[in-house]
Amino acid sequence: MKENPADLVLSLADCKQLLGMRYAEWCSATPTLEADIAAAAMGLDDLGHSRVLYGCLSELGADPRGPERESDPASYRNVAFLDDPWLDWSQFVAANAVLDSAFTLLIENLVEGEVEVLRSRLRKMVTEERYHFLHGRSWLNEASAREPIERAWREAVEFFGPEGGDLRRRLAERLEQPEPDLKIDWKKWDPVRRRTQPGAIDARTFDMLRGLEEKRYMVAGERSG
Amino acid sequence: MSMTRVHDKVREYDVFARKARIDPLHHVGRVVAPDDGAAMAYARATYDEERWIEMIIVPREAVITLWAPGEE
Repeated sequence: MKENPADLVLSLADCKQLLGMRYAEWCSATPTLEADIAAAAMGLDDLGHSRVLYGCLSELGADPRGPERESDPASYRNVAFLDDPWLDWSQFVAANAVLDSAFTLLIENLVEGEVEVLRSRLRKMVTEERYHFLHGRSWLNEASAREPIERAWREAVEFFGPEGGDLRRRLAERLEQPEPDLKIDWKKWDPVRRRTQPGAIDARTFDMLRGLEEKRYMVAGERSG
Repeated sequence: MSMTRVHDKVREYDVFARKARIDPLHHVGRVVAPDDGAAMAYARATYDEERWIEMIIVPREAVITLWAPGEE
């Protein structure tokens, strides 16, 4: 059955929003000053990309977002790698190289696809993502990150779905690395969240997504509004 | 305080850019990176605030100096 483009666009928007936030969390903690700046820039890029993707939903038919997004963090359609803040630089590298590239491959498909609003609005993202890829690939060659890379690969393959063979081949080509030996139990795969793992975004990030975290910094009289 | 770098080998790159076709490329800064790809990503991340129509990077080692301040 052909996938509704709105579902894929929402999944990509959620992933990019979370990816942008995770990049931003590292923008003063990477191994070099240059990578700090790149983390901030890539974070801003991906948050911007998520806004563009969310903005496309109104032109793709019924919006798949429901009221549960205000109360249930598991209603977000992000890959599990983005559920929690990264504790190690190798996780940043794996997400930057593998997951960010995987999302870009899907966006490239949409840019080359039949839906005009996606063809026109998403094109600039592909240009910007080139620099994310260059950054990720460079650090992939530099950092020791076998375990998080394998996890990122697994989640990228799950995000592509059971019929994502061509995308998997293209991801390996782009990264100039073979796909790791993965055994995925597709019976556990959730086609809405595009993942096999349960779980959800951590509570603090979920509060930030809903604007609740920022309310902590408001003066008392503004909080109720 | 000096910044510790994890890379064993880094190269310096000079960054040049211009805002209009009639402008010459001019030096806007430099980046330090382990390879060309990372240098491109760092140059774009660091110097992309303005509306450049062109940006290039040049490895410092490719520059041939004819003379410099303080030299005859």
